[in-house]
Amino acid sequence: MGALAAPARASMSGGFNRLLDSVVRIDVRELNFEDGERRIDASIGSGVILSQDGLILTNAHVAGPRAVEINATMSNLERVGAKLVGWDHWTDLALLRINLDETRRRGLVFKHAEFGDSDKLYIGQIVYAVGTPHGLTRTVTRGIISNNNRYFEDTEGVDGYETGNFNTWLQTDAAINPGNSGGPLVTEDGRIVGITSRAYLGANNLGFAIPSAIARRVVADLVRDGSVTRSYVGIVFKALQDLEGFYAVATNTGALVDSVESGSPAAAAGVRAGDVILTINDKNVDGRFPEQLPPIQNLIASQPVGTPLVVTYKRGSAESSVTLVTTKLESRMGEEWVSDTWGVGLRKVSPAFARENQLQDDTGVLVIGVQRGFPADIAGLARGDIITKINESPVNSLDVVRAVDSAYAARPGPTLFEIQRERRVSLVVLKP
Amino acid sequence: MNRSVLFIAAASCVLAGRARATELPSLWAERVKCTVAVEYVTETELERRPSVAYGTVVDSNGTIILPSAAIDLRISPGQMKDFKVYVPGDPDGTPAQYLGRDAYTGWHFVKASPSILGRLVPVTAFAGAGAPAEVALADEVWGIGLRNKDEDFTPYILQSHVALLQQLPQLTAIAQQEVAGPGLPVFDRQGRFVGLGASSFGQTFLEFSGMERGGAPIMLVNLEESSAFLVAGEVLPYIGRIPRNAFGRPLAWLGAYGLEPMDREVAAFLRLESQSGAVVSEVLEGSPAEKAGLKARDIILGVDGKPLPRFKPDRVVVDYLDRLIAARAPGDALSLSVLRGSERIELKATLAEEPRLVREAGRRYFEKIGFTAREFVYGDAVARHAATAALVGVVAHLVKPNSPADIAGLRPDDWIKEIDGSEVKDFASAVDKLTAIEKDPQRAETVFLVSRGSDTAVLRIKLR
Repeated sequence: MGALAAPARASMSGGFNRLLDSVVRIDVRELNFEDGERRIDASIGSGVILSQDGLILTNAHVAGPRAVEINATMSNLERVGAKLVGWDHWTDLALLRINLDETRRRGLVFKHAEFGDSDKLYIGQIVYAVGTPHGLTRTVTRGIISNNNRYFEDTEGVDGYETGNFNTWLQTDAAINPGNSGGPLVTEDGRIVGITSRAYLGANNLGFAIPSAIARRVVADLVRDGSVTRSYVGIVFKALQDLEGFYAVATNTGALVDSVESGSPAAAAGVRAGDVILTINDKNVDGRFPEQLPPIQNLIASQPVGTPLVVTYKRGSAESSVTLVTTKLESRMGEEWVSDTWGVGLRKVSPAFARENQLQDDTGVLVIGVQRGFPADIAGLARGDIITKINESPVNSLDVVRAVDSAYAARPGPTLFEIQRERRVSLVVLKP
Repeated sequence: MNRSVLFIAAASCVLAGRARATELPSLWAERVKCTVAVEYVTETELERRPSVAYGTVVDSNGTIILPSAAIDLRISPGQMKDFKVYVPGDPDGTPAQYLGRDAYTGWHFVKASPSILGRLVPVTAFAGAGAPAEVALADEVWGIGLRNKDEDFTPYILQSHVALLQQLPQLTAIAQQEVAGPGLPVFDRQGRFVGLGASSFGQTFLEFSGMERGGAPIMLVNLEESSAFLVAGEVLPYIGRIPRNAFGRPLAWLGAYGLEPMDREVAAFLRLESQSGAVVSEVLEGSPAEKAGLKARDIILGVDGKPLPRFKPDRVVVDYLDRLIAARAPGDALSLSVLRGSERIELKATLAEEPRLVREAGRRYFEKIGFTAREFVYGDAVARHAATAALVGVVAHLVKPNSPADIAGLRPDDWIKEIDGSEVKDFASAVDKLTAIEKDPQRAETVFLVSRGSDTAVLRIKLR
């Protein structure tokens, strides 16, 4: 036997065994209105218990506000109910809480895992993914950190909700399959360094995880508020890479404004595409490479809503400075509801959706599903239509639709809908 | 008694039928002379693509009409080259001239070379004197089809019976089977011209594949032969509408955008059972409709004091309205009766000349950058929800695959608003600027600011 101390092996580490005992399988039943009816979808994911008061960390795409039933299967194979504490689709994280009354009543005990420091990971470091790939509970796969600063942007990542703009990701070659989502990526001592969330399908061993440094902050916010509040100014950045000469700025200085969202604080302050942002609140901005953009977005997002940001920028040869007062970052996804009488799934048009689709304002509800043979289908409503008026009254909220729906259910009769399809306005009558 | 009358009637039918049947080949041979095939080449920056359409000769000057669908309206007349007319059965074509498209009928007009005039006979020679011939249900009709170019456009005969007459909004006869090539004439048994082959209607078939048990419905459209034809009364009065220029100007314009038919259920709801209507989706900025006070979401119920008639299907009313406008000239008046909420309003519009169209827009290809810059016209501003008062910038009309522009991420329809940090005022200044960029061998890059949907993008195009 050699005298050299062997590195702690996963199989022997107490921390690792403890981690194994804190990973759960998560079964979710969630409502889906995309067929114009109350359909229940079932899915399986993974999660990790964070505390003795029953907090479970998982992915936002595993469990979100559409969930109607969540069950966690613990390492002792016992299954307990859980509730959503809050979610943050921007980082693809969700926090659940085990039903503690149930665990007490049934005398169930569980362990919890500890966070490690994802900032200290090095490329090539051995990591393990633990989860429920394809329903195979408590599967451990091994790999290395392939990249500790992966940039990608996926604007419709979590069931239509935006994701990925505020952090970079860990990339690993540990096998990640559907069902691994929400499970922990850990070091040999069993500490959580990431939450595995996605993999390229059809590729070999290209898996991605949210770094624990991000997850810890999100968890704190979700415990406190049930959500993460972020600041918004409406600037879409682009890496300045190779354009420093064109814009006459020193290398590693500034971030390029690729787009300014209409109606945003930046648009109101006159910031334009092609401007180069040099400082934000006296802090130098360096957006030379795409990987550097999420921290800049996060710098803005992490300010309290309503914070004045002094932004200096270069336009042509002139440097100027403006103050942007941040507003609250909102998703494009509005509230959803389904009318059983008309057979139509609806989602409120949000200001962000209206802006993306160049609608005049956020009046109306979007048709997200139509049930065949029901009044909405027979009248010709289709997915993507926007209902702007019912019986000549503007549809400003889902409550307006609910009220007409209740009246219709009580006394069915012809009801006039004004719908907008692309840019065409037409009238249809829904009737029993 | 009854029996013998019947017998006599039947016998006379047989005789008459036999007499006509023997005539048909000679009637056909004579009438083939009013049909031609027209070939042209669409020349874009990257390719030359030949197309063939069928046409009917309408006068003794060799004027030929082609159906609306024969030429894609997105193609600019400047891109259509090498028009040739082929007499059926002859492998050699003769050069021809494109005269333009008439907005009212939708027909494209082509003029044959004088050298072949002796071989052509106008369809009017078979129209007879007086009112255009009419067809009735179950009438026997026949028409001409032409084979493909590799068979020298050999003519052939098609025969059928009228199954249905329908206002679409033109009176259209639908035969039991294919009766003519689209754009080619249809005759009755006496050889009188009774109509012009229209674009054929789609027919639904069930497609069975090895894996599937049930068939999947698919719709097929026959491009070579059609069972529908416009009756002679919808053709003969309009064959003189030869456009004055390739764009068919002048073009009457109202500016009511996105007309959508009011269906029967809605009409009943609004207590307008006896008529049809069209919802105005948007009223375009600076248009005659706007000046007349028309508003988005108004329902047009009547024109010039007459309620809009009912059609089957409902959407035909939109074509009906478009044709009412196209039949007029800029400066003509158009009175509209509209429903706004529960109020009936009478409006009077003065039609104007339609703003420059995309196919009229200037365009220039830049080989080194790899894209075509096109003038930004009124319709481009409408499509992008932009103000139409100041038409600035240019549109990327075509992006050459793997060119510097393509690699930098330029996409067709991108609206280029700035080049190298300065605003693009108009097409001419963009052309000057891009020409200078391409001429400069020292140039390493050019930077475009483009607008795309609700976003913009800064694109760096590497030239070296």
